[in-house]
Amino acid sequence: MLLKLTGGRVYDPAHGVDGQVRDVYVRDGRIVAAPAPGTTIDREIDLRGRVVMAGAIDMHTHIGGGKLNIARAMLPEDHRGEAVQRSALLRASCGHAAPGTFATGYRYAEMGYTAAFEPALLPMNARQAHLEMGDVPMVDKGGYAMLGSDDFLLRLMAAGTEQAVINDYVAWTLHAARCIGIKVVNPAGISAFKFNARRMDLEDRHPYYGVSPRDVLRTLARAVHELGVPFPLHVHSNLLGVPGNFPTTLGTVEASEGHPIHLTHIQFHSYGTEGDRKFSSAAAQIAAKINATPNASCDVGQILFGQTVTASGDNMSQHRNAAVASPKKSVTMDIECDAGCGVLPFRYKDKNFVNALQWAIGLELFLLVTDPWKIFLTTDHPNGAPFTTYPHLIRLLMDRTFRNECLGTINPDARTLSTLGSLEREYTLYEIAILTRAGPARLLGITDMGHLAPGARADITVYRDDANREAMFTTPEYVFKDGEEIVRDGRIVKVVQGRYHTVEPEYDPAIDRRLAEYFEKYLTIRSRHMWISRDELSGLGHDAEVVVHPTRRAR
Amino acid sequence: MSALRLTLRAAPAQRVDCAPLTPAALGGKSAAEIGALLLAAGGPPVRVDDLFTIEGTPGDTLVLAGATARLDGIGTALNGGTIEVDGDAGDYLGRGMATGTIRVSGSVGTFAGSGMTGGELRVRGHAGDFLGAPLPGEHRGIRGGLVLVEGNAGERAGDRMRRGTLLIKGNTGALLASRMVAGTIAVGGTVGPGAGTGMRRGTLLLPALPAGLPATFNDCGTFPLSFLTLLARAWRGLPAPFGDLPERGLRVRRLMGDLAAEGKGEILIRA
Ligand SMILES: [Zn+2]
Repeated sequence: MLLKLTGGRVYDPAHGVDGQVRDVYVRDGRIVAAPAPGTTIDREIDLRGRVVMAGAIDMHTHIGGGKLNIARAMLPEDHRGEAVQRSALLRASCGHAAPGTFATGYRYAEMGYTAAFEPALLPMNARQAHLEMGDVPMVDKGGYAMLGSDDFLLRLMAAGTEQAVINDYVAWTLHAARCIGIKVVNPAGISAFKFNARRMDLEDRHPYYGVSPRDVLRTLARAVHELGVPFPLHVHSNLLGVPGNFPTTLGTVEASEGHPIHLTHIQFHSYGTEGDRKFSSAAAQIAAKINATPNASCDVGQILFGQTVTASGDNMSQHRNAAVASPKKSVTMDIECDAGCGVLPFRYKDKNFVNALQWAIGLELFLLVTDPWKIFLTTDHPNGAPFTTYPHLIRLLMDRTFRNECLGTINPDARTLSTLGSLEREYTLYEIAILTRAGPARLLGITDMGHLAPGARADITVYRDDANREAMFTTPEYVFKDGEEIVRDGRIVKVVQGRYHTVEPEYDPAIDRRLAEYFEKYLTIRSRHMWISRDELSGLGHDAEVVVHPTRRAR
Repeated sequence: MSALRLTLRAAPAQRVDCAPLTPAALGGKSAAEIGALLLAAGGPPVRVDDLFTIEGTPGDTLVLAGATARLDGIGTALNGGTIEVDGDAGDYLGRGMATGTIRVSGSVGTFAGSGMTGGELRVRGHAGDFLGAPLPGEHRGIRGGLVLVEGNAGERAGDRMRRGTLLIKGNTGALLASRMVAGTIAVGGTVGPGAGTGMRRGTLLLPALPAGLPATFNDCGTFPLSFLTLLARAWRGLPAPFGDLPERGLRVRRLMGDLAAEGKGEILIRA
């Protein structure tokens, strides 16, 4: 079956294609070169005047794992109002900030997204997280395994164990938890919280293990790099949300010591203490650092006004924020003696000084980081806002008039303090395609997604050009997944399953025995029970395909 | 005053969500338009005209005739107008209503008047559990208005109530006024165990000391309360035993609690 998408304006930044009119050919789920003249075209779709991009990729979205289920259990009211009714095609589902798995997949596809990555997959919870993601239809998925507050690593580091052994442990974790990258959350802090520390800055020492967040960052960034994992260490820095935390964020970039590092939801880490209220924007300093550091990238974690829920492995910051939960309820808990998490609902208000400034800081970061390949479009779903707000966020980035209208309605003190009104930059469609397609695929090391050259998976989104970018990005005209039409005019026409993306770096199996002994002695299950095989992973995702992306050892 | 009359053709086999049927939502619609509306139900959605015969013209008053306990969500978020239910109603009757009146000739299911902020809800028969209570996950029960049940109420009536008046002529199940924050509840019959558990403020007026009161209520003795005179005047016109409360000479035994919560609630026993 040969499909021809004729005459659309193609945005394919991976190959420098910026709105040129091109025909795109699809055969057997892949994009193919123009066939020889006379070849039979089985289906042709006239896309003249339409905007054609690869399927969008969300590289940081909390769609699986225990904390989401805690959020769902804690917020039945989040589900009641937003029902997805069962149809001949779709399963029943519900939810706004923490939607059910089916609603998650449907809504992503309806917006033209074809892949989504869970950034805080606790190795100990990997089976449950993959099961849950396996139930999310329509999109490809993958997870980042959380390390950095696990006792085994801290123990190795406290004992001065050589890097090679730590690398083996990191590699083992990627295999066992079937992930595509490594994430660190509040380095050493999640564990330190359980030893009654309530604040961890880069140089602070873990009360029991004596290691500092800086040690953890250096060690893990180096491990990821030396194992040849394409995706850089994914870092949720210390002191999330604390006014005056920006020097810690700058120091975090340094702590990687030149190894690739990705700072996630930097909006929450770009705060100064200027002004009467001791809360100000440090977006300029953070953006300058990202611009000047070749090995660093970031995603924003934009907040948007409205009700949501915050779910994080960062028990320390969530415990600190529990007092401002809205509605008033929260959970801070240990997970399997090996990690922690905190969940609390939150309503960001445009008339609230702090929330309004957070909103402006996120947009300042988007506009001040100059290289679109180094910044990614996220709301840290659902922490800053549900992912369904992305089209609105895209309009804020692309439409300065609209942005300034919105700026005019927020808390006036925050407006005065922000430089947002003076920033003239408007994102182009080409840049949006980098932020949401080409950039994430390149960062993840996935070579056959996020672009439209022959050989790529035929994940394609077609939009009607519309000056109202929010409307345009809310309702694509067509979405293709692996060459199949899955969405037409923003409505799902075919349900597909999506695949898992993983890496399997080599390691010395000597670590197996060490881990077996450790698990036996200290943890709730055996290490061999934590291990998920490739076949098992496939089963967790309803016989999903498991893709293992190549790694290249650095030495 | 015009009225629209929807008569159930036959008892539905599945539960039906009747939330879209309010005078305001149906106002200005033709019988054909109303008939074509879809109601969520167990199994596939059902058309209004498959379920009901439609007579009259939409206006201030909606009559649901031949109603059964399978009809959920009647009068949800009602904001003006009157709904008369001839028969029984299912769960969530008048949930979140703000103004207007709902009258039911039979009995109602669970969560009637849940989280209502105003208006009047009158039930001739019995009410199920969680009368006026918030749904799981919510923090606030009745926040205003009047609920009058002439029969009995189930467990947890008035849970997390913050304002308004809840009157139950018959008996209540366990844990009446649990977690109550403010407002007034009066009961004509007997009250199940655990009344006032977690009560922070608010007033409970009872004809006799209930069995199984939490140990965290303190007896403050029997005396007259001038506030009861105001209450009696406000309740004039309501059926007995609320409308005939004497304006003078009423003495009550007062118990304060729940000391495990804020402890400013009062249970008043008519002496
Ligand atoms: Zn996150």
